[in-house]
Amino acid sequence: MVPGFGGNTLRIDLSGGTVTRAPLDPAFARAWLGGRGYVDKIVYDEVPRGADPLGPENRLVVTPGVFSGHFAPSGSKCCFGAVSPLTNGPGDSTVGGHFGPELKFAGYDLLVFEGIAASPTYLFVDDDRVELRDASKYWGQGTMDAERMLKEDLGEDVEVACIGPAGENLVTCACIGHDYGRQAGRCGIGAVMGSKRLKAIAVRGTKALPVHDLPALKASTLEIMKRTAQHPNMAPWQKFGTAMFIGWSNEHGVYPAHNFQTTYFEPYAGIDGQVLVDRLLVSDKACFGCWMNCGKYSKVSLPGRDTVYVEGPEYETGSLCGGNCGFEQIEQVAYVNWLFDRAGIDTMTGGGMAAFAMECYEKGLVTRDQLEGHEMRWGSIEDLEHFVDMLTGRRGIGDAFARGYAAAAAEIGGGAERLTCQVKGQGMSGYDGRPSPAMLLSYMTADIGAHHNRSWTITMDEDLGRDVLTGKAKVVVHLQHIRPFFDTVSCCRLFWGEVDVSDEEHIEAIRQMTGWHDFTLEETLLLSERIWNLNRAHYIERNGGPGRKHDYPNARFYEEAVPTGPSQGARLTLEDLDLMLDEYYVARGWGNDGNPSREVLLDLGLDACVANLEREGLIGSLTAPLPPVRGERYKPKAF
Amino acid sequence: MVTVLIKAGGSLTEYLKPDADAYTRRVEARAGETLRQILESIAVPPGHVAAASANGSLVALDYVPKDGDAITLVPPVQGG
Repeated sequence: MVPGFGGNTLRIDLSGGTVTRAPLDPAFARAWLGGRGYVDKIVYDEVPRGADPLGPENRLVVTPGVFSGHFAPSGSKCCFGAVSPLTNGPGDSTVGGHFGPELKFAGYDLLVFEGIAASPTYLFVDDDRVELRDASKYWGQGTMDAERMLKEDLGEDVEVACIGPAGENLVTCACIGHDYGRQAGRCGIGAVMGSKRLKAIAVRGTKALPVHDLPALKASTLEIMKRTAQHPNMAPWQKFGTAMFIGWSNEHGVYPAHNFQTTYFEPYAGIDGQVLVDRLLVSDKACFGCWMNCGKYSKVSLPGRDTVYVEGPEYETGSLCGGNCGFEQIEQVAYVNWLFDRAGIDTMTGGGMAAFAMECYEKGLVTRDQLEGHEMRWGSIEDLEHFVDMLTGRRGIGDAFARGYAAAAAEIGGGAERLTCQVKGQGMSGYDGRPSPAMLLSYMTADIGAHHNRSWTITMDEDLGRDVLTGKAKVVVHLQHIRPFFDTVSCCRLFWGEVDVSDEEHIEAIRQMTGWHDFTLEETLLLSERIWNLNRAHYIERNGGPGRKHDYPNARFYEEAVPTGPSQGARLTLEDLDLMLDEYYVARGWGNDGNPSREVLLDLGLDACVANLEREGLIGSLTAPLPPVRGERYKPKAF
Repeated sequence: MVTVLIKAGGSLTEYLKPDADAYTRRVEARAGETLRQILESIAVPPGHVAAASANGSLVALDYVPKDGDAITLVPPVQGG
């Protein structure tokens, strides 16, 4: 057994009702580290290419990485992954809180679910005792209520991850909730869980986590704690969390307003971090092992509605469920946050879907009749509440939205596709790429679609010039290799990005946990590149080639100029996007068609991908020599 | 004149050139100057400031600091 890990894996066949325990293979652990490393490898190897993401052959992979559960900067994360019903490609989403550490304390690094249970089921992991149990009592409950009921039944010391009605009803943007308001939000993994009739996973872990050199890990973490406590960024992060960036995003003209029609929301001061703290804050909230406590627990009272409690809104919800849907008051945004959380819908794609519906209604593409007599007006709680109900219950036009952007646009017609702000079916994060081309390139090339945390480049775009298109692709590639590190080892990237805990300090912590004395940053970057290419191969094996055809956003982002605000007039053309993609594919060692080349795949040890792509005629041809190192670090600091 | 203590970490530190401690610079400014004007006068690019707080409350860059204010600058979130 490798120190630092829980040491065991569970394979759960929901169709057969069996659970098989096996020790974690040390070679597998070193090769793929955990988190999305395990997810992407397992779904590539095990899920047949034609399999329905909501069918029995898909896998639901649950995995905390090596950091999770340790006395180290925010080792709190747990990854949930599968073939995504939203993108039809490999998908993963990571949640903080306490679930990942609890799994490690119970002795587990990896859970793989397959099949479909005959009736609503939950898995109870109580250290060595692992049981599939009847979940009919909890089926139909919202995520917070289901979590509370399970804790009442099993004990307050149990950690719960569960789906809400949206996941049960296979809404493709359904999330997995944990800790009364944290979510594994992206990629619709909650729908995969629902397709397996798995309502929840409840875990109690009471064991000690083995550490190779505990005195050294304690000493270095204590030093990091003392240093970061004095860091100037720490106090604002503790006080406001990510919500403090609503103002910046508007003043820099990258904030999504009214379904990304523009990039400035004039009433933003009513929904920013200061009013959140002044009007809603009950308490700060932290994940396991974190002293940044960026989570904000809020009390929300709206006229005519019950008072509710919600964690948030953080930046992404404050943008996509805020100005993007036309909400001008923090209480409204927080209430929408709660509505989505209760239903078990990702606030990001959910907020994007709602804004899409609002613009369709504004343009007369969706009618009152289709909305069961309701409207879908910007900034209307009543309308949004009804829309969430239709989406969750898959009633009428809500069923089309539940199947995703493409299905909704096809059902609506009238050119609605250009209003779907997404890439590969994943709703865009809360930054508009038109004034920040490398950010748009990041969205376009991300394996899971338009998600910001695969690579975030807006500072670089500011530095090098927002109108500059070339020279940035190599940095996007590098960032796409940095980010998977945090998602494989399951630690929060905020300590690295915001309070200057270095790459090397993270690597040294892993050496102290595991005893892998020869572990290096270069090894993690190589793994990240391996994951990136594995996922690219997987995506085009499932969705056909050439890869390039999947890498475009909706037409708004290359045909419409930003009409108002600080970025007024910013626009990109299709030729601009192609120029960036050309450069990106060269930097990656892919063909100009966006298909990975034989050379780069073999260099990364992905021989199986070569065989699969060659068989399907999907291998790329290099147009330039393979770069010996793919990606380039941006100076002065690699974000 | 007013004296303000401006504190910044991360990528902003190298622009700020702290002198009072590892993160803090003491700045003398004309009364009535906005935070944006003060930052420009000491070569801290306002475009790199994602959030600013004065004595613990978020303020915009057109805020006019008072004598003795403690200002904290935060660089852009790196994806949250």
